[in-house]
Amino acid sequence: MIWKLLIFLAMSFVVVMAFVTPSPMNPANTLGPVDVYRIFYFHVPQSWVATLAFLMSMFFSIRFLQTRNMAFDIKAVTANRLGLMFAILATVTGSIFAKMTWGEFWNWSEIREVSIFILLIIYGAYFALRSALPDPDQRATLSAVLSIIFAVSAVFLIFILPRIYPSFSQHPTDSVVDKSGKLTMGGTVSLIFFTSLAVFTALFVWIYDLSIRLQNIYEKRLLEDK
Amino acid sequence: MPSGNVNWVSKVLAVTEKDIVSEFRTRYAINAILMFALVTLTVISFAVGAFSPTKEVMAALFWIILFFAAMSGLAQVFIKEEESGTALALKLASDGTVIFFGKLLFNLALLFALTVIVVPLFIILLKTEPANWLFFLYAILLGNIGLAGATTIIAAIVSKATIKGALFTVLSFPVLMPLLIAVIEITKSAFLGGVFKDIAAPMQLLVAYDVVMIILSYLLFDFVWRQ
Repeated sequence: MIWKLLIFLAMSFVVVMAFVTPSPMNPANTLGPVDVYRIFYFHVPQSWVATLAFLMSMFFSIRFLQTRNMAFDIKAVTANRLGLMFAILATVTGSIFAKMTWGEFWNWSEIREVSIFILLIIYGAYFALRSALPDPDQRATLSAVLSIIFAVSAVFLIFILPRIYPSFSQHPTDSVVDKSGKLTMGGTVSLIFFTSLAVFTALFVWIYDLSIRLQNIYEKRLLEDK
Repeated sequence: MPSGNVNWVSKVLAVTEKDIVSEFRTRYAINAILMFALVTLTVISFAVGAFSPTKEVMAALFWIILFFAAMSGLAQVFIKEEESGTALALKLASDGTVIFFGKLLFNLALLFALTVIVVPLFIILLKTEPANWLFFLYAILLGNIGLAGATTIIAAIVSKATIKGALFTVLSFPVLMPLLIAVIEITKSAFLGGVFKDIAAPMQLLVAYDVVMIILSYLLFDFVWRQ
């Protein structure tokens, strides 16, 4: 309950502050309208949570194959479900952001757009396989194996794309920290941004925890019925 | 286990041989693959007949033909065992790694048979000849090893599912994506007649991909096979 309240208050703070604070952007050196940057407060935390969820499900898939404990399967699939949700959000916000700054909703030569597209396909394939396997044990094992294979091919993709199409990312590399590791944002902006980062992570953890508890109750019921 | 066992190679070859013999009797996969390749080739010939696309486009089209033809047939290697109920007997007869490498070799043979037929037809019908045959051979060799190496375990996964054919393509695509990008890059260079420096990066990646995917599949295969 206390978590729910805290997340609600912090999220309200982020949403309000993101829109009422004055823009720090200088109209002379921005690509689009100066207010476009506000989506940054939501887009970056969503992408971060999507990445976190993907890494978590990978970890739990490996743990499942090691221990054969069904709890890890539930954790992996829950992380994947939430990961899919946040990946879709990040894609949509990113696409709007791209339209406003670079002029196109989608650009195939932008590395992060390609990688998130592949990530969405990976999620699609993962859930397609799960729905085609009726036996729970088989479903857990085979989808864990598939997750690991996907993760390895994703690593290859991350390495190959910049090599074959050199220097084609339009994403700024200094939007949070510059090369020497110093923060590039001003006080207000960084306060809102890091609160948003924390609150999106907390939101993810909270939904994740709820889903796991729900799944466990469901599984218990299923066993009692048998 | 592979090390210290002299018979291991002959066991693997026995699995491959059994599959080749049964393939010649039933023509379960080869007919589907070849007809699929022919159909795609014809569609592409008609589509590009009116205009002359660049060599870069031809390189991509060539791999689209091979990719979809491969997708139509490579899964059969495990599906036929499940459908005819021989999977259990195979499990008793030998251990997982032997089966995996046997099936991998069979899929590889199937892909090479496919390329031997598709390449001349592609050159004749689409009037595009590689300027550098050596690069073209590299692309085919490494591309086929990667295609078979990455999809054999997926074929094993798919054979347990309720919908098989469509699922195989869906699951294979994200895995094969790096391979396809690299191999198209090399083929482009082969059609245009580049120098080795152009293909060094995709070649490195392709070799690494082939080795990693085969080792990974080998490590994970037992989990799938013992289900």
